[in-house]
Amino acid sequence: MTLRRSARAALLAPLVLSAFALPAALSPAHAQVTDGTAADITGDEPVSLRFAVEIGGEPFACGQSYTGIGRTEGAVAVTDFRLFVSELALIGADGQRVPVALDDDGRWQDGQVALLDFENGRDRCDNGTGPVNAQVSAQAPAGDYTGVEFVIGVPFDSNHGDPTLAGSPLNLTSMFWNWRGGYRFLKVDMVPVGGMAAHGEAPAHGEAVAHGGAMAEGKGTGHGGKMSHGAAPAGAWMLHLGSTGCTSTSRTSAPPEPCAQPNRVTVEFDAFDAASDLLVIDPAALLADSDLGTNTPDTSPGCMSFPGDADCAGVLPRAGLAYGDLPGGEQQLVTVRSGAR
Amino acid sequence: MMKRFVLPGVLLASVACSSATAQGVEADTPDDGFVWQLPAWLPRPAVPEDNPMNAAKVTLGRHLFFDARLSADGSTACSTCHDPALAFNDGRPFSDGVGGARGHRNAQGLANVGYSPRLTWASPVLASLEAHALIPLFGDAPVEMGNVGQEQALFERLRADARYRDLFDAAFAERGGEVSLFTLTRALAAFQRTLVSADSAYDRYQYGGDADALSASARRGEELFFSEKAECYHCHQGFNFTDTFATARSGFAESAFHNTGLYDVDGQGSYPAIDQGLYQVSAEPRDRGRFRTPSLRNLAWSAPYFHDGSAASLDEVLEHYAAGGRLTVDGPDAGDGSRNPLKNPLVLGIRFTGTERADLLAFLDSLNDPGFVANSAFSDPWPAAHPAALDRRTALDNVPDNAAVAPQVRPDRTANLPWLLAGCLFLLSLVALLRARADLSAVSPTSRS
Repeated sequence: MTLRRSARAALLAPLVLSAFALPAALSPAHAQVTDGTAADITGDEPVSLRFAVEIGGEPFACGQSYTGIGRTEGAVAVTDFRLFVSELALIGADGQRVPVALDDDGRWQDGQVALLDFENGRDRCDNGTGPVNAQVSAQAPAGDYTGVEFVIGVPFDSNHGDPTLAGSPLNLTSMFWNWRGGYRFLKVDMVPVGGMAAHGEAPAHGEAVAHGGAMAEGKGTGHGGKMSHGAAPAGAWMLHLGSTGCTSTSRTSAPPEPCAQPNRVTVEFDAFDAASDLLVIDPAALLADSDLGTNTPDTSPGCMSFPGDADCAGVLPRAGLAYGDLPGGEQQLVTVRSGAR
Repeated sequence: MMKRFVLPGVLLASVACSSATAQGVEADTPDDGFVWQLPAWLPRPAVPEDNPMNAAKVTLGRHLFFDARLSADGSTACSTCHDPALAFNDGRPFSDGVGGARGHRNAQGLANVGYSPRLTWASPVLASLEAHALIPLFGDAPVEMGNVGQEQALFERLRADARYRDLFDAAFAERGGEVSLFTLTRALAAFQRTLVSADSAYDRYQYGGDADALSASARRGEELFFSEKAECYHCHQGFNFTDTFATARSGFAESAFHNTGLYDVDGQGSYPAIDQGLYQVSAEPRDRGRFRTPSLRNLAWSAPYFHDGSAASLDEVLEHYAAGGRLTVDGPDAGDGSRNPLKNPLVLGIRFTGTERADLLAFLDSLNDPGFVANSAFSDPWPAAHPAALDRRTALDNVPDNAAVAPQVRPDRTANLPWLLAGCLFLLSLVALLRARADLSAVSPTSRS
């Protein structure tokens, strides 16, 4: 499935991609790429995609509260923001997609998957790691490129291994579900200011309609594994994207076949210049129809991608993902900000 | 009362230095040819750059670990509270220091402690075993081994033992075999990094390819454990069943602290003032009641449970999570922990059936590793009459306050079942053999009597 950014019309002028991450001053040989002429690349050159996270247009910072988020325009603090990026391809002027291998730095990237990590482990980003990473680096083969494509997610072949044995960044305990479900592709944890409101019986977190693989096995809805506690003010609204409908013999074994709902978000921009453009990730558009102060009883807190959760119905289609009977629309999670690097 | 760790100034530099080297997870450190006793599937523990592994250092560390002369009065070794027979726990709610000094936290087992990038129940900064060793040795709030301000006397006690002269020479030749804070803490840390427990029934099932290593009940328990119904695995993740975890291959040292709703003494999230967890270090009010996730390995030997040893059995632990927190009806700690506003959002209560409860217990039982407890490489190297062991307290030497709970603490016998069966088989075959020999000699003892 290919998803296009909704605001593409705003960038009609075809920008010529510079594949170069290096500042022009350090790379005089390629200075011409900044003046709009095609980059003539010979041999592999470093390319980096630069990302930023905003919440409703405001720069993200751990511990900060953001107002006007969701249908009820509530205020939330964001306590975690991490995602995996993979399957990077550069789009040539001729429309050809050229797959690009990510660098392997033994930490943020393993050659196939990169971790973008915007939490710094401080303030309210409890239990996070200290270091942050806002870029994906790779080596691009020679060519003229005018666009970019990548996936928010982990490829199936890497998604269901034993995280205990994986190398970095796929061995972070905070980013995996079980073997069957694979990793959280996107983890955005939000805490409504003032707590979760009672919804019927309060912020319940149920066996949700049987999560993950159990759903694929055809179990029914909401047989209520969890009890609710009427007045518990604690609560969080978590947005976790990951594969669901994965079938395997146990929760700690890998599914032999791809999951029914892979939930990998393909992001494509026909006009993108890595040297000057910034990729802005903002979940607010996905949450436009959500009430972050409540959670549907007997479902995961927030939207954790699992089928049958009303809290996901407004979210996944806006991420470009089909959900239940709802078709995926254009992804609204990532936009390009030209000349913002 | 804040949990303080007060050190003489001269020691602080050493702590800071040691912590700094272990803050991140280092890429592989040379191990001087050290051979790790690990299954092939398991990555090695991270090793700080200033303390590469070697066999002589591990041997020295093992001697130090079991040596009661490391305490001010010769009564307390590391092994007093971390007894290998109890998977390096002490089986009591609280551990006691020299001179009857009371601790207020439950001693944690040391299995796989080399994979824990943060140590103690609630420190966000204590990142290496080297730095940690200074706490029991020199801490004075609470007093554990009681050496605060007396490090020279401690060194002298060790230097006076000829056996240590050889051990320190072999382990730290480049430092002339010196007995110092550096060598003491490095050797203790090196020994502890060898304490790997990775041969439970679950390991054989999950990693060893032995599909029959788990009972049907334990397999159902695993399914429940890793489900969104029980939610256990969100915190008890990965090889060591904790979200504070790193190996030599990790790019990040992950650590996590959670308030699980054990208490709520003021309706605003507070735990009993004696121990508020991470808050004691951070002074952030929202950190009240947050403690590091303990490993779930070898639970058969680690009762009582929780940071204050307030759950005598795993049944009580499951009861806590089933209720989504603990209700304390009266007394100074009264309050409904399930309504603690600082509680982790995933601790919301679970409706277990009786079968599910039994299945979960069967799964937890499969994480017990009798071979770890019996591993001779981790045993006391000292003769009983040696000064290192002569006056040494063991985990079973309870002081009266602890005695009330301690008798409830006993290893789960089912965990020892394989060994008991093996023992019985051995005895039976011995008897059969003897009978066969007797038959062969055609002089049956019974016929003669």
